[in-house]
This record gives sequence, structure tokens and C-alpha cells, in this order.
Amino acid sequence: MKKFDVISSRASRIDSPDKATGKAVFVDDICMPGMLFGALLQSPHAHAKIISIDTSKAEKLNGVKAVITSKEAGNIKYGVSPARYDETIFAIDKVRYVGDEIAAVAAVSLDIAQQAVRLIQVEYELLPAVFTVEDAMKEGAPQLHENFAGNLSAEVHQEFGNVEEGLKQSDIVKTTMMKSKRQDGAFIEMQGCIAEYDNRNILTLTSSTQVPHYVQRTIAMVLGLDIGKVRVKKPYVGAGFGIKAAANPMELACCVLAMQTKKPVKMNYTREQVFMYGRARHQFSHKITTGAKKDGTIMALKHECYLDGGAYTSFGIATVYYTGSLLGGPYKLKNMSYDGYRVYNNKPACGAQRGHGAVIARACFEQQLDMIAEEIGMDPLTLRIKNMMNTGDTTCNDLNMSSFGMSECIEAVRKGSGWDKKKGNLPKGKGIGMACGFFVSGAGYPIYRSDTFHGTVIVKLTEDGGTALVYTASAEIGQGSDTAFAMIAAETLGIPLENVRLASGDTDMGVDLGAYSSRQTLMTGHATKEAAEHAKQQVLEVIANQLDIPVQNIDVKKGFIEFADPVPDFSNLRTRYIKEHRGWTDNPDFEKLTFKEASRIAFLEKGSIVGTGKYKPHSLGGKFKGAAVGTSPAYGCSAQVAEVTVDMETGQVSIDHITDAHDCGKAINMTSVEGQMEGSVSMGIGEAMHEEVIFDDKGCVLNNDLAEYKMVTSMDMPTVNAIVVESDEPNGPYGAKEVGEGAIMPTIPAILNAIYDAAGVRMFELPLTPERVYHAIQAYKEKLSA
Amino acid sequence: MLLPKFEFYEPASIQEAIELKQKYGPDAKLLAGGTDLLVHLKKKRITADHIISLMRIKDLVQIKMDEACVEIGACVTMAQLSNSQIIQEKFNALKAGADNLGNHLIRNRATIGGNVCNASPAGDTLPALMVYQAQIILQGPTGRRKMPIESFFQGPGKVDMNADELLVGLQLAIPSGNCGAHYIQLGKRKSSEINVVNVASFVQIDPGDQTIITARIALGSVAPTPIRSFYAEDALNNKTASESLFYEAGEIARQKDCKPINDFRGTAEYRKAMIGVLTKRTLAEAFRQAQIR
Amino acid sequence: MKRIISVSINNEIHELAVEPNKTLADLLRYDLGLTGTKKGCDTGDCGACTVILNGDAVNSCLVLAVQTDGATVETIEGLSNGDGLHPIQAAFVEHGAIQCGFCSPGMIMSAKNILDKHQNPSDQEIRQGISGNLCRCTGYQKIFKAISSQCSDTNPGNNYGGLHEKI
Repeated sequence: MKKFDVISSRASRIDSPDKATGKAVFVDDICMPGMLFGALLQSPHAHAKIISIDTSKAEKLNGVKAVITSKEAGNIKYGVSPARYDETIFAIDKVRYVGDEIAAVAAVSLDIAQQAVRLIQVEYELLPAVFTVEDAMKEGAPQLHENFAGNLSAEVHQEFGNVEEGLKQSDIVKTTMMKSKRQDGAFIEMQGCIAEYDNRNILTLTSSTQVPHYVQRTIAMVLGLDIGKVRVKKPYVGAGFGIKAAANPMELACCVLAMQTKKPVKMNYTREQVFMYGRARHQFSHKITTGAKKDGTIMALKHECYLDGGAYTSFGIATVYYTGSLLGGPYKLKNMSYDGYRVYNNKPACGAQRGHGAVIARACFEQQLDMIAEEIGMDPLTLRIKNMMNTGDTTCNDLNMSSFGMSECIEAVRKGSGWDKKKGNLPKGKGIGMACGFFVSGAGYPIYRSDTFHGTVIVKLTEDGGTALVYTASAEIGQGSDTAFAMIAAETLGIPLENVRLASGDTDMGVDLGAYSSRQTLMTGHATKEAAEHAKQQVLEVIANQLDIPVQNIDVKKGFIEFADPVPDFSNLRTRYIKEHRGWTDNPDFEKLTFKEASRIAFLEKGSIVGTGKYKPHSLGGKFKGAAVGTSPAYGCSAQVAEVTVDMETGQVSIDHITDAHDCGKAINMTSVEGQMEGSVSMGIGEAMHEEVIFDDKGCVLNNDLAEYKMVTSMDMPTVNAIVVESDEPNGPYGAKEVGEGAIMPTIPAILNAIYDAAGVRMFELPLTPERVYHAIQAYKEKLSA
Repeated sequence: MLLPKFEFYEPASIQEAIELKQKYGPDAKLLAGGTDLLVHLKKKRITADHIISLMRIKDLVQIKMDEACVEIGACVTMAQLSNSQIIQEKFNALKAGADNLGNHLIRNRATIGGNVCNASPAGDTLPALMVYQAQIILQGPTGRRKMPIESFFQGPGKVDMNADELLVGLQLAIPSGNCGAHYIQLGKRKSSEINVVNVASFVQIDPGDQTIITARIALGSVAPTPIRSFYAEDALNNKTASESLFYEAGEIARQKDCKPINDFRGTAEYRKAMIGVLTKRTLAEAFRQAQIR
Repeated sequence: MKRIISVSINNEIHELAVEPNKTLADLLRYDLGLTGTKKGCDTGDCGACTVILNGDAVNSCLVLAVQTDGATVETIEGLSNGDGLHPIQAAFVEHGAIQCGFCSPGMIMSAKNILDKHQNPSDQEIRQGISGNLCRCTGYQKIFKAISSQCSDTNPGNNYGGLHEKI
């Protein structure tokens, strides 16, 4: 018997028809009367002092309405985390990377704004620049930021248990490295925004953002505005993947231009500027040492990582912690140490991208587990199952697995891929490999230290009855959150999905930390559920009172009021409703009382029925430094199997098939969960095989377009068998937890392990371009013949 | 990204186009599919005060043929080439290049004339055109002239054409029986790629004893222009075909004929190694086709 | 200097004066209010700007508006003609082939073009037919299923795993 009426189904997304018809509005689709166009002046140099800025020629150009520099924008420092506010809107005394913002222009057309930008004259004094971690950390290297000696943006040292002892007790100790490259989010919609400043000095920013709340706070803080006069909202957003999870200098500059000109100002990044802005996945250099007993028990993990962070911290202060903390699971591990270093250099800043800091670490570690399994003669699946944590276990770094369907995921991919038949029986050049991974279902703490609720939701019933309006400041960026919350509201209220309308992404609607760290389904979902319950309760109380029955005897289901026996006579309620609708042709004549009638009656008695909900996780994590990062009320987990074909002569690797199982607690919308799994896999494949941001020796991005930054196309994508596992998360609304980021974790290592199976080569550097694989095969051949 | 301001012309005849080109000289650029030109203009790599579109000139968008030859108009698109029966039947290596250039959207606009005049060492149709011994047809104020395609390429983006000439088409002799050709391109992903290495081979055999009468091999992305692999070809003529012979030819192509550079798409060493592999593979497939035709 | 063009867009003739350096994408989006066609790169790499021009799917960011004199252009707005969603659009909605929606109009136009040209596209023809449309959200799986569901008959050669199950 079906347990749910709305959730746990494949309902079509509520925004899909508008997106399918081109009606869905994204920021660049918006045009306003009198709107001006903004353009940025960005540094052509990787490291230079600014000696002078002369904007006079630009100001004189016909059609220019404002030219601003740090003089107008101010010098309040900001960033992502208060622990590292190291940016200003515009460079003040120096520029630190090619793309560092110096000035902005608003003009009547984009063409004129760009011409004006070219007329701004800046005198630079070039400074020596550093582009690698090694060079940035050398003695005597040019320092990017005064307060950070050795260009160390952040440093982490953690130890849990006793790693040395653990390694001593191990029969096998494996040390490997993994080097990755910078990635880009490569969302199809570039960042863009429109700022308006009205006659009451109210600033409204419409932006392609994942985090209206954080952007609102940043604007207020940096521009010195009363936050009550700052509103940030988002139209439909063409994805973000973490890159759009912080305020960017363009948004701030746009606000200043709007305030100066008193006209709406629109600004967009070109694709080139998206690459210049960066704030995507860091480049990682991992060294991991794992100790295990010969029966496969994992004893200790020693982890050192250098993160190439670029010119500013951005999310990097959290990234450097996630890199270490998310190796604490999913296997039982008592002894773990992590030394992490995030280094500044004169390239665009790196930030958070799907899987935040843990993706490459997971790739290194899961490959190592396979190496250990091979050495002790154990099947890689068996090794993982042997060490797997159980539901309710806590990691050595205090992360608690309140629900944990990892074993089910492993079994699902074992069966789904035909692992047992294939492993060890594939012809040369064909391989099968697997890996596991997990991720937080929402960061346990907000980015700024605060007691704030992480999400608030309002559910208001229409006064005429029957329809629920859901207001949430959360961000629908393509993951399906609007639909998920509409479904949760409908399920909780007991009404059909079609009777729910939802509006989101506007800071006027409440607080929501936004779409990052995979938090919305669990956190905002909880707040939605609570708000809907609250609204429902108010209605039921009125009905109970009107009919003189206990409120516990009433519920709502499928849009009808369900009474426990004996069913009372509600005819006077119906009569009252119909009296107010004389002339209507569709008055209710059902056997049961409708929610429409009940909520109308409730309005007549109480006034507007508004339910409010809020969510904040309970206190999480340990007491050590950085304990907060990695904490979460729940963790999503996955297992994946990759099947590949390696062309042994060219090094080209074809990913033939992926079997993916992900435990999302409870699928609010089954199709959406699968969609996130499949999307994660495609990003994982791109990052494994051919994505990397390439720089020249002057700090300019060489491959700053989507032709040379190679994400997966329809020709590259394998078939994917996505299997949804549901472990019923006690901390999640209806048992739901994340899928957006956990699902990318196993992809790269599953491919690495499959390539080893196919070609006998272990890869320790990403991406796995044909040339890199070719060289590994050649080296392996030479070793064999030696 | 905004395009610079320019004047635009759509001549209806080749003659008109030539006159416009003469009139505006080096400030004028010719526009065919636009998939390269407009990108270069947007990225400010080049400028143009005048743009002359060739796409309305009927003569340029046709594929004509008689018993001996096929003449492909310069503005024939990749999609048209792929769908053309004569190209499918007789010039499958060229079809392979056309099938794989860019992606389906680009192929609906990109023209063979554009691919040839762009003269990228990595051009997708160029190796096949070379092994089919395509003749470039140029037309200027004084009339038409032809030249073998090898002579046309002078360097990356440089072709041997007078300032007042247009490339109006390519002439390819229809291969006789006992011939085969194959083209392989290698990149990092399977669509929308600029090749790391690409090779085409053409083989004509004696149907009796299966010896190789003629072999032509063209290598892309390993020199300033696409090049013929003459040393490797010499090693094949009049020889009996075999796997080891094709391997040897690949080795010669790799060691003697190609001069690749390192760039951000690949190293010279890897490109050389791939020349060996792709030469061997294209020869083997071309031979297999020759056996059955 | 502006030129006068006469172009049919979604079966409506528009007579317009356009600057030579205006792309078709910009004409549609900023002059005609047809913002369904999106711009994801402006250099022909992503396909978000796909329209059907004289029967072929093309990047409208690489077509000059002046080149469309006398041409027929179909954009996403022209698909659903007031009678509800076009079957391809409905298929995309039903199969969950849309997430952030930014690539969707271009993707759907390419999908339509595949089906305009092939009644029963194979696995490879579907993949090739959207090879120029990048999607970063979906991993293409449900897009393949949506397009395949519109084939004139079920094709057992297609390999999308559960493709023809009624969801």
C-alpha cells in the first residue's frame, strides 16, 4: 500500500513547462525601462601595483552615466568566511591576478560601456608573480597579502587517534599521491545581475545566484547599507555548482552603479570572464598513506594536501578543511591525521565546487583501497564492505551517520553492473572498477558564526481556500528544490501538488542559506514541512471547533478532510461555503468535505492562515579546531561501478557504462534524484577525463571557452544505470537527505580502478587525457619488458 | 561578446564578389559559414571593416559531377557533404572528416571552402582532400586557375592565393576500382574538438596480387600545414600489403615525415607516436576497402 | 549602415532594419523579445542559442541577422502554438530531461531537428543530433530518453536501459 500521496513519485517538475517553452525568465532575459549596461575594467596583469587610475576620458564619452573605482565603491573587506575577508570590490593598491577588478562603467549601451572601459587609463608597476604552490611558498616569493606570510591562505593540522601507532600495527602500508588540475563549474548560464535603486533608497539586486541571503548580507556590509533596505532575489538560474554560492565583485559593482545613476543597471560575465573569475574547484596535490592489516582492516590514514588557491580565499578556508574531514568516513577508521595547506598565488581564486574539497581526496583514497585489496588478494567490494561503518556510527572526527545505506548501495551496483561475472573475466583493454563516497547533507553551521535558523518557510493558504502558497528564500538552480518543497508542502497538507504554488529565492521571503553544501532538501524541506503542518493545524483546529470533535480525529488526505468514525455532519459548513459562492458553477458536492471548504471556513474564523516553519540543525561536531567543517545532520552516500575500454595504442579511454547507487534517505521526487545522480556522474567523468583550466606563463587562462575547456558532450556520455537507495534518514523531512554532491564522489576513482583493470596502469595525475594514459601504458610496457 | 562594426555585402555572383574584394582589399573578409570568422572577430583576434558573404552565390553551394570528377563548391557545408551520395560512395574519407568536424550545429554552417582557407594544420577535411589529390579552383579578375591542394597551404592560416582571388571550389577525380581510403582524427573528447592528430590514407591495389600500386598518406596537426607523408608512401609502393608493412609505414611517418610541436593540446612526442598508430590504422582500413571494391 | 531584412520567424514575417554586426541571437533576444533562445557562450561552443534556420539547427550566435533576409527561422517560442506543449516539449517535461533549463530551448530545437530529419533516429543519430548542445546538469540520459520516446516506432536497437517503460 502506497505510503505517500505526493512525495516519492515521479511528478513533473513545476518549472519544467516554462523551461521547455522558453518562458522561464533568466536574468539576461530581463529588460527594464531606462536600463543601463555595466562593464568591468579588469587587470591584464597577474601582479602589479596600481600607481594611478585616470577615468576622465571614460567619463566624457557620450552615453556614459557613471564610472566607479574604489573611491566610490569603498574599501570594506569581504569574502566568503569572516575568518578570511581578504577582498575589496575593486583593487585599491594592487592587483593580484589577471581579471582582478579595478573599475566599472554604466552606459546606455553595452558597446559604449565597453568602449569607456577601454578609455580608463591605469598606470601599473609590474610585480613579480607566482603561479604555482611551490613558487608561492619559496623563500623570497612575492607576497600577495600582507597578513599571510609564505602566501599561506590557511593551514590545517588535525590528528584523531594515533596514526603512528595505527601504521605500526598495519601489515601493509601504501603511500600514493594524486595530483589534479583546476576545474571550472562550466554552468551554461554565465553570471549576470540587474541592480535597481529606488526613490526610497531601497536597493534590489536580481542575480543569477545560489545564495540570495549571503549576497544580501555582503552587499549591506560592504556598501554600508541598512540591510532592511537591501533585497536580493533570483530569477531562474542556469546552475551554479558552488561557483555562484558567494557574492561576486560584478554584483557589488552593479549595486554601486545603480546607486550612482539611480537607474537599473544590468551586468553580465562573458564566458571569458567566467574563467577569469574562477572560484571553482581548487587544484589539489594529495599524499595519502593508508595502513591496513592483511585481513583488510583499515588501521590508519595519514593525509597531506596542498591546495592551489589563487589570489583570494573565497571558500578556500572551508575547502581546506573539507579535504581532510571527509576522509573520516565511510569506513571505520580510528586513526586519521590531516595536514592541509591552502596557498595563494597570482591566478584567479578557487572556491567551492560540487563535492567541495573532497572529490580528489576521495579519488586518491579509493584507488589506494583497490591497491591494498589487490595486494592482500581481496575483492575490492569485499574490502569496502568489511570496513564499512554502520548506521549510527560516528567517525573519528565526530561525523555521525544517522542513516547509512552504503552496503545497500554496494550490493545494488554489484548486481546492477554484473560485477561478479565481469571482474577478472574481461578481455585486455576492457576493465571494471568501483568506488564509494559520501557527502554532507547541508553544512552543520552557517558560513558566518551565528545562531540563525538555516531556513525559514512561510506557507500561506489562499483566503478563498484550497490553495497553498509556499514562500521560501531558498534557491532553485536546476536541482529541483522548488518542486521538492511544493511536494513536501502538498504531502504535509494532504492536498494535491497542483494546489500548491511556490515562490522562492527572494530575501524578502525569509532566511535561507541557499543552495550549497547540498542542504536544501533536508534543511529547507524540514522548514517547509513544519510550516505546512502549522497551517494545516490551524485549519483543523477551526474545523474541530466548529464540529465539536477532537482535533486528533481529523486529517487531510488528497484534498479531502478525513474524519475518524463516526463522521460528523458537516453540512452547515458546506452550506456556508456555497452561500458565499452564489453563481459559481463548480461548488463542491463531494461526499467528503474538501480542504478548499475547510480552509475557507478557517479564514472566515481566524483571518489569513499562515504557517511558519524553521530549521536549524542540533549542535554538531567535536570541539577541535575546524570541527564544524564536515558536520552535518546527515550524510548521503554512493557506490559506483565504471566499465571502460582502453585503446592500448592511443591511450584513449571510452567510458562504456556507469552503474550508480546513491542513498538519498527518501526520494522526494524520484526523477529529480536520478537526474542529480546522472548529472554528477557526467561532471565526474569530465573532471576525470578531460577537464582542466590551463594557464600561460603570464597567468592568463588559455582555454577560456567551452570549446577548449572540455566538458562531457552527448557523444562522450556513457549509459548510466542510476539506482536510488532509501535508508530513511531520521534527521530528514520524510527521511530525505542529499544527492547533489555525494553522487560525484565515486566517479573518478571508479574510473581509475577500471582503467587499472583494463590496462594494468595506475594513474596518479588527472585529467586522464589520452596522452597521459598513453605514457603510463608505455612506462608499464617498458617495466614489463625490463 | 560584441562584433565590431562593419559593412556587409551579399554578392549574387562570383564576379561581383571578386570586384568587392578588389575594391576593399585587406580590410575586407570573406564570410562563408562564419563558424571561424565570427568567432575570431568576437574574440578580437582580427578586425574587418567589410564583410563579403559568399553564401548567396548559387555556383558555390553545389556539388557537380561528371564521369571523371566531382567539383565541390566552396560554400558546400559539412552537412551537405555528409549527405551527398557521391561523397558517401566514392570519398568516404572526406565524409569522415565532414562527419566529425565540430558538432552537428557547426556542421550545418561550416563550409569546405572555409575549412580549406582557414588552413589550420588540424583541419578536419584537409588530410582526406590531400589523399584524394584535390585540386583547388581559384577565380580572380583574370579567370580561373587550378592548383594541387598541397601547394595551396603555406603555413597556419596562410594560403597561396592572390588578394583579388576567391577559392570557388575543389575538384576531385573520382577514384577507380580497387581503391580505398580512411580518415581518423584523435582528440580528448568525442565532439567539438580541435584535433590533436589526424591522418588520412589512400591505397590503390593490384587486384591480382594485392600489391600496393599507389599509397597516399596525409598527416594533420604535426607540421605548419597538413602534409603528405612521402617517405612512408615510398616504403609502400609496389609492396605486398601486410600488418607489419603498415606498421613500418607508420614508423616512417612518425620518424621522418612529421614535425610536430608542443602546445597546450598535446606534446610533440605524443603526436609523433599517434602518427605511427593512425597511419597504420588508416592504411589497414583503406587496404581492406580496396580489396572489396 | 542598417539593412532591411524580411525574415519569417515562427511563421510570422518580420520586416526589420538591422545593423550588420548584430547576430541573429541578439536580434531575437533583445530586439524581438524572444528570450527563449539563450546565450551561454556567444562563440558557438554550447548550443544554448540553437534555432532552426531554413530547416537546419544552427548556433544563432554565429549567424548575422542580415544573413537571414528571406529565411525561415524557428525558435522555441514557435513550438507550442497555443495548443499546449509540443510533443517534444511534453516529452522533455515528462522524462525529467530539464533541470536548470538554460540549455533546454536549444536542446529541444536540436531534438526537433533530429526528428524532422529522421523518423526513427538510432542511438548514435540522437547523440550526434545534440552533439553541439552542452548540458551540465542532466548528464544527457533523460534527454536521450525524451527524444527517443518521440520516435515513430520503438527501436529495439536503442540502449538506454528502461527507455520505453512508461514512467
